[in-house]
Formats: sequence, structure tokens, C-alpha cells
Amino acid sequence: MVGRLAWVVGSVVAVILVVVAFLGAFVLRAPGPLQGPTTNIHLETVAAVNQAVEWARPNDPHPDWVSYLPTTILRVPANATINVTIDQEDGATGLRNPFWGQVQGTDGNKMHVKYTDDNGNQQEADMTSIDPTRAAHTFAVPDLGVFVPLLGVSDNAAPGATNVITFTFHTKGKGIYHWQCFVPCAAGTVFGNGGPMQTLGYMAGQLIVE
Amino acid sequence: MAQRPALTSRDHSIRIVIPWVVLTVIGWIVAAQIHLPIDQSVQGADQAKTLFIMTALAIPVFTGVVVLVLYSAIFFRRRAGEPLYDGPPVYGGARLQLTWIVVSFVLVLVLAVLGITTLVSSQAAQAVGASGRAIGAEAETGGAIKETNKELQVQVIAQQWYFTYRFPDYGGVETTHLELPVGVPVEFHVTSLDIVHSWWAYELGVKADANPGVDNQFHATPQRTGSFTVRCAELCGIWHGEMADTEGRVVSGSDFNSWIKQQQATFAEIGKSLPSYAPSYFPEPLTKGT
Repeated sequence: MVGRLAWVVGSVVAVILVVVAFLGAFVLRAPGPLQGPTTNIHLETVAAVNQAVEWARPNDPHPDWVSYLPTTILRVPANATINVTIDQEDGATGLRNPFWGQVQGTDGNKMHVKYTDDNGNQQEADMTSIDPTRAAHTFAVPDLGVFVPLLGVSDNAAPGATNVITFTFHTKGKGIYHWQCFVPCAAGTVFGNGGPMQTLGYMAGQLIVE
Repeated sequence: MAQRPALTSRDHSIRIVIPWVVLTVIGWIVAAQIHLPIDQSVQGADQAKTLFIMTALAIPVFTGVVVLVLYSAIFFRRRAGEPLYDGPPVYGGARLQLTWIVVSFVLVLVLAVLGITTLVSSQAAQAVGASGRAIGAEAETGGAIKETNKELQVQVIAQQWYFTYRFPDYGGVETTHLELPVGVPVEFHVTSLDIVHSWWAYELGVKADANPGVDNQFHATPQRTGSFTVRCAELCGIWHGEMADTEGRVVSGSDFNSWIKQQQATFAEIGKSLPSYAPSYFPEPLTKGT
């Protein structure tokens, strides 16, 4: 009789332990806080691939196309902090929609810019927007609400001058998010939106959140 | 073996009418189960209702044709061993022909009038800002904005590959998402900054081409709060498939007022750089690229 009772009690306890373990594992596997690992992305924007300073692509089929370098396929972790540095070496084209001249979706809705002003002097400042006519490109991930205009290199800057733009944003869940430029910067194409604007690897890219 | 008597016209009619009626009823039952989720606006609900009525009228025509064709193919086919010959010519039958023509004419006329009145009534009612027809009886009440008794002006600006919105009634503020007050008639002005797009707010039951240099106008009156999805319905380049926004919302009038104030504050800085509100734009500058 006692043996049977012990067997029943033992079974009940075992079942309870299994349920608790299952629920515990479920809770522990729940998504963690939004602030996860930090990832750094370093990009270069050039007026033509063959003018690359940092990431040359000697065998590129379109050496005269405007482009982000070294790649536009960016792999980042989910729920992570992404620090982006862009060495912007192209001159201004101007935004077709001036609205994109405002920084959105980054930490503090701002970016930090090291640039050469129209007098040829080196400057450095946090910016929340730029003159839309001075934009060379944008780094925009619409589905994450990230829109960052990139200040074009001044005409008075020394040859080879680079504007360095840094900002931080955060990823959400896993997925493939497209990113793009809102400046019609594809010289020589219809409305400036052809060629490199329509081709992965130049001004069109994917942010693969994994 | 006794030969079966030949079937009369009445026999054939009965054999055709019974499956026709049964299939028609089944078709109506199936059609009644289909719910088009486009009733977030008065116009969308009208369209859904009209489409249902048109479908209901089309079902007996469709099933009638199908039953006649199948019945003829089965019962009037050439049996094995029968000589191949054409059927005897049919003369007369004026009553049948008249019935056929009149029924077809009336049916097509009803469908035409139904479609045209649905289209015209919604456009006309909205154009004068009338609240009686435009605001559905079941519409939820909004906040302060509903008392303006005029259409809310919303400009939809398409560009590769995103839709933005301008509100001329609120200083021309531009936003990245669209919120609309429930129960307030809205006049949309759809345009594009580059190529042809198409603004499609599915749940609102509205879709309009976005052409550069064109102010494409249409009207909608949101009648139910909730979210709606916006997507581009015109193939427009590499990210056409990504040109969508799931954050469209229909909210109460007071919530809309709070939201638009927040948008005005958020985008005040860049607002100074925006061109004056216009029906369409040919934005400058473009120092290169075109």
C-alpha cells in the first residue's frame, strides 16, 4: 500500500517538475531586452566605383557607377545596436524630396558629421538635418524608420576630401530589410533613378538581420 | 427490351432547370461567405456591397450557361454508330428570342446603373463635403475635427520607394505615415516625384495612380478605427515590392489632433526647407543625375 502511494506521489512530483521545467525553458527562451550586441558598419560612398579610396573593385562591370562600398549586403544581429560610419566622398546632388533632409530613427534623431565647409575649413558637428540641396546620398532603412541624409563634399574642399558621418540605430526582429538612397544620384539615367539605383551592390542594398 | 420513350422538351427543361437552381443557390451561399475587407471607409463598404450584388446577379447567368453546355454535351452527343449530320435548322421561337434579349438587356442595364451610381454618389457626396451621405450611420464619432464639416485635405507623395503625406490644413507638414480621423471625409491628392506609382490603401477600398506632375483626386470617409496597409500597385523598380507601409491608422478625432501636433513638432525643422504646398511638384535642385 505504502509502495503504491509512494509511486503515485513520485509520479505527480515528476509531472510537476516536467511542467515547471517546460515553462521555465519557455520563459528563458523569451526575447531578451531590445539592447543586444553592438555591431559596427563601415561604408564608403563614391561618385564612381573606380574612384574608391578604401575598397577598390578593379573588376567591377560598371566602374563609372555611383556606389556604396565595399558591399550593400549588410548582416547584423537582431535586437542589436548598430554603429554606422560612412566615409562620404561624393559631391552634392540634392534631394528630390527635401523632406528626407531630416535625420530620423537614429539615436537622438541625429548624426555626427566631420566635414569641410565652403571656406575649406574642417568642421565637426552633431546634426539633426541638412540643407536638402547639399545631400549627396541617404542611408535609409524605411521599415526601421531610419533615414539619414549624407552631406555632400563641398565644391571648395580639397581634392579627395571626405565627409565622415557616424550615427547609431537599433535593429528589431530577424528579417531582411531593404535599404536605399533617396537622392536621384544615378548620373545619366532617366530621372537619376536608373542603373546603380536599381541594382543590388551599388545604391540598393539589404540589411539582413539574423 | 422495351425502347424508352423519347424525352419531350418539358423533360429536358426540368432536367436543366433543377441543377441550374441548385447550383445557383450554392453559388449565392458561397458568395455570401466571401468578405472583402475593404469596408474601413464608406466608399469601400459601398464598393463591397455593389460587388456582392453584381456577383449575385452574375451567378445564375454563369451556372445557366454551364448547365446548358454540359447538358447538351452529354445528352445530345453523337452516339457510337450514329451518322454524322448537322442538326435541323431552327426557325421561329420569337418568344424565346425576345425573352432572351429583354432579360440580357435588363440585366446589363441594372449592372451598369448600379456601378455608375455607386461611383458617382460617393464622389458627388464627398465633393460638396456633405456629412449626411458621406458619414455612415454606424460611423464612430471623432473629436474636435469632425465639427469642421469640410473635407480633410491629404496629399500623397510617391517617390522611389516610399509614400509620404502632406497636410495643407496643418501648415503643409509632411509625414512618413498616414493617420486619419474617423468619420471625417478626406480628399486625397495623389502625385509622384519621379515615375508612375499607385497608392493603394486596401482596407479603405481606395487606389489611385500617382503620376508626376498630376494631381489625382479621390475621396474616402473612414468609418471605423483600426489600422490599414498602404502599398504600391504599379511596378516601379527594384524596391517596388518593399514600397508598403503597415502603419496606416484610422483614429478618433482627438487622437488625430494629438498625432498631427506631434508631427508638426517633429518635422518643424525640415518643414522650413519644404516647398510651398502645391498640387504637384517638380522639385529642384538636381545638380546632376538627370
